[in-house]
Amino acid sequence: MTLTRLVPDDRLELAVTVPSPAPARERTGWCAATLVVTGAAGAALLVAATNAAEWDTGHQFGLFWLGMLVFTLPAVAWLVRRRTGARLRVAILTAYACFTYLPKLLRTPDGPLFHDEFAHWRQASDILLDGRLFEQNPIVKVVGDFPGLHSTVASVSALTGISIWHAALFVLVVAHLLVVLGVAVLAEEIWRDGRTAAVAAIIYSLNSSFLFFDTQFGYESVAIALLVWTLVALHRAMRGPAGRVRLGWSAVTLMLCAATIATHHLTALGLIGMMLILCAVASVRALRRRTPRAVTWTAWALTGAAAALVVAWLSVVAPRTAGYLDPYLARALDQIAGMAGDSGEGGRTLFRESVAPWWEQLAAFGAQGVTAIAMLAAALRLRSRPEGDAVSRSGALAMLVLGSLYFPAALLILTPSGAEGARRSWAFSYLGIALVVAPVVVAILERKAKFALLAVCAVVMVGNTAAGMNPSYRFPGPPVFGSDTRSSTPEVQAASDWLRSTQGRDLRIVADRYSGLIFGSYGGQRPVTGSHSFPTYDLYLAQPGRAVSPRLIEQLSSWNFGYLVVDRRMAREVPEIQIYFETNEPVPHSDKPAFTLGQLTKFDATPWTIKIYDSGNIAIYRFDFDSLDQPVRR
Amino acid sequence: MTTPRLILLACAALIGLGLGDELAGVLGAGRPWVFAALCVVVLVAAGELWLRALAGEAMPPVLRIGLATAAGLVSLPFVAIVLHVAGVGIRARSIGAGLALVVTVLGAIVLLRERAGRPPGDPRLPGAIAAVTIPALLAVLTGFLTLSAYDRMPRPPEPGYTSLALNGWAGDIDGPLSIPARGVVVPLRVSRAGLPAAAEPLRVRVGARLVSGRALAVEPGVTRAFFVHVPAPPDSCLHRIEISLGVTSTVFYGRGPAGRGSAGC
Repeated sequence: MTLTRLVPDDRLELAVTVPSPAPARERTGWCAATLVVTGAAGAALLVAATNAAEWDTGHQFGLFWLGMLVFTLPAVAWLVRRRTGARLRVAILTAYACFTYLPKLLRTPDGPLFHDEFAHWRQASDILLDGRLFEQNPIVKVVGDFPGLHSTVASVSALTGISIWHAALFVLVVAHLLVVLGVAVLAEEIWRDGRTAAVAAIIYSLNSSFLFFDTQFGYESVAIALLVWTLVALHRAMRGPAGRVRLGWSAVTLMLCAATIATHHLTALGLIGMMLILCAVASVRALRRRTPRAVTWTAWALTGAAAALVVAWLSVVAPRTAGYLDPYLARALDQIAGMAGDSGEGGRTLFRESVAPWWEQLAAFGAQGVTAIAMLAAALRLRSRPEGDAVSRSGALAMLVLGSLYFPAALLILTPSGAEGARRSWAFSYLGIALVVAPVVVAILERKAKFALLAVCAVVMVGNTAAGMNPSYRFPGPPVFGSDTRSSTPEVQAASDWLRSTQGRDLRIVADRYSGLIFGSYGGQRPVTGSHSFPTYDLYLAQPGRAVSPRLIEQLSSWNFGYLVVDRRMAREVPEIQIYFETNEPVPHSDKPAFTLGQLTKFDATPWTIKIYDSGNIAIYRFDFDSLDQPVRR
Repeated sequence: MTTPRLILLACAALIGLGLGDELAGVLGAGRPWVFAALCVVVLVAAGELWLRALAGEAMPPVLRIGLATAAGLVSLPFVAIVLHVAGVGIRARSIGAGLALVVTVLGAIVLLRERAGRPPGDPRLPGAIAAVTIPALLAVLTGFLTLSAYDRMPRPPEPGYTSLALNGWAGDIDGPLSIPARGVVVPLRVSRAGLPAAAEPLRVRVGARLVSGRALAVEPGVTRAFFVHVPAPPDSCLHRIEISLGVTSTVFYGRGPAGRGSAGC
């Protein structure tokens, strides 16, 4: 028995209209020629942009977007043509997905650079060295509890003999392609139209995380692909005929769901949230007898099973996750309350001191306006044109609810602690936006407004990317202290190499955020950058001649911390991202450096710190707590 | 492709991966590309077997390609987690064996399932596979050429540095050093990168007293060891000993021979 309307098999593909073979071949040739030429030109312009950024000429923004748009706009134009065939659409989507990985590839061709990439690189490296999973990561403490990504990368590296970084690139490019194709297939499940499906994939690719954040060597990059394909399988399970087929799709749903959970905490929670929205919508519709009950029961059963898997993983395998995530949300809510209060404190100014050009900043605000208008139009369209079967309709309404959550998250972007979470949430909520706005775009395309839509598409891509990623993540350039991506210099690398080669790996060291990234990844050490309960930053904050808290010394001594890394740039420069150690550090932040040179060089005159290495900016000291109170003759 | 052929293909690719070191000499520089292709074959075959074992119905080609790839990819963490739970180290051979087991078990389930009938093959599938693989291969080529072009472009010089470190036994100093009357010879290591050659002042201070000073030639791109004589401190009190080269320095603490003026410490 089929619970929903049967769909002819030939419609279940990314095409509605299959053109006659001869003209289709002709167009395929033209399309291929256009995209090969524009792809090559785009790649050359992206290389020019990267090189311009390295020399700090200031032309990188214009060259970058020219390079992106010279390929993506023709690709989109070919995709949205009514007469484009199914295979050609799939080929263009594949080319589009691969091309949109190029900016990240050029940004990090050789090794990790973004903050979380160091953590995953280290974790994969440890698996290859020790052969064990679930080891605690010294850079992001919960990374080890979610081994999906780094175990995949380590396995590919071990099987093929390629480096960890190349194995990671292989996995990430595949995941990026899976996201694009997955959104198209999910849209096809809902709208039953190949053109709408292709448009949905393109709209999703406009989200702020698509080009740089969700392409990094980070767990969400793979988890989001798994989330999208889990939703595809869930729709299949809901729609499928009762019995063995539905059970089969339910098993596929749960398998992908389990993989998502083993890969990333937030994506797993996001997936459960999406499934709950879908269940709620289907339940309301079932009460009004618009959705067969078996569809609703299937959705609830799979959501319940998925939720049980998440709860079991978070409580048994990864119990530290709640403690890791909780402070971010709590602080963000505090800061929103602070902003709403009389003092107006707790907020952040968007694009403060950003080097992004004015037109990128303008596009960032414009993109939000375009998104709001598009969502309004999508809501009106859904209300006025109830189309599709029960599963499609429930899916579309659930995606409308999901897409609407994009806007409350904008509140969080105004707070320092919530900004990170808001950006991450957009990768989820934009899925809803993409899926419900796509038919609106197709309807507009019918009115011959292709060029206007391409222009809007360009503005949204520029604006969302500018809003989601700061320029030092997007482009190389001169070293900048206090930037996760640009503070790593040959000097810091050399210091970490020296420590590893002379003293060994897995040493417990005290460091700042930026040194910690290098020493904790390439250096193979176990850095600590401070926390409320283990305030190692107090070592640096102590004034010369003043004693360090005995409790902190006791903690360092009893936990076998052997080394202290001091970056003297902390006394000369203000970190670009306004963080010296960690987000909640009790360090004054202003336009002046928070440390004096005396605070950082005091260790040269304390008998419990032996200076074993110095390269001007970076000094490494060995702790000798037994000499703490020893008098030194001057 | 029939299930037995799919299983054979996956097993052949796994054997190819298993012969890693033996094939390395034959393949030369092409080894990473060949092994990456074999890895893709294994993962996609495993993913397709997952689909046939679980869903077991006809589906649109893009859906099949995507799900098979996703299912194949997640086979790796599943195998790794099972190995971890079983207490087996995650190595190339154990992962290969795990994948072989996955392929065998799934293959057996599919073969049993297909005894009742096999869903018809989709004639559109080869075209869809070509629609994905051709642009993907072109993109890999473009990416490779793009990175090669980028590598050849001139780069601004990176900031330079000179590093000074305690070397040899001195690198292990973990407390005050007892220095005999004749003094001690301390091994050091100097390294320089991105800066021009120069003669840097090398100074030794015991407490506030400058005990020696000379120039040391330091060349860019060279790491070398050298030795410095540190005289004994004047008494058995704790003294700060600094060896500096230009603006860099190392600092440790030492005491003179026992019996010298310890009462005044």
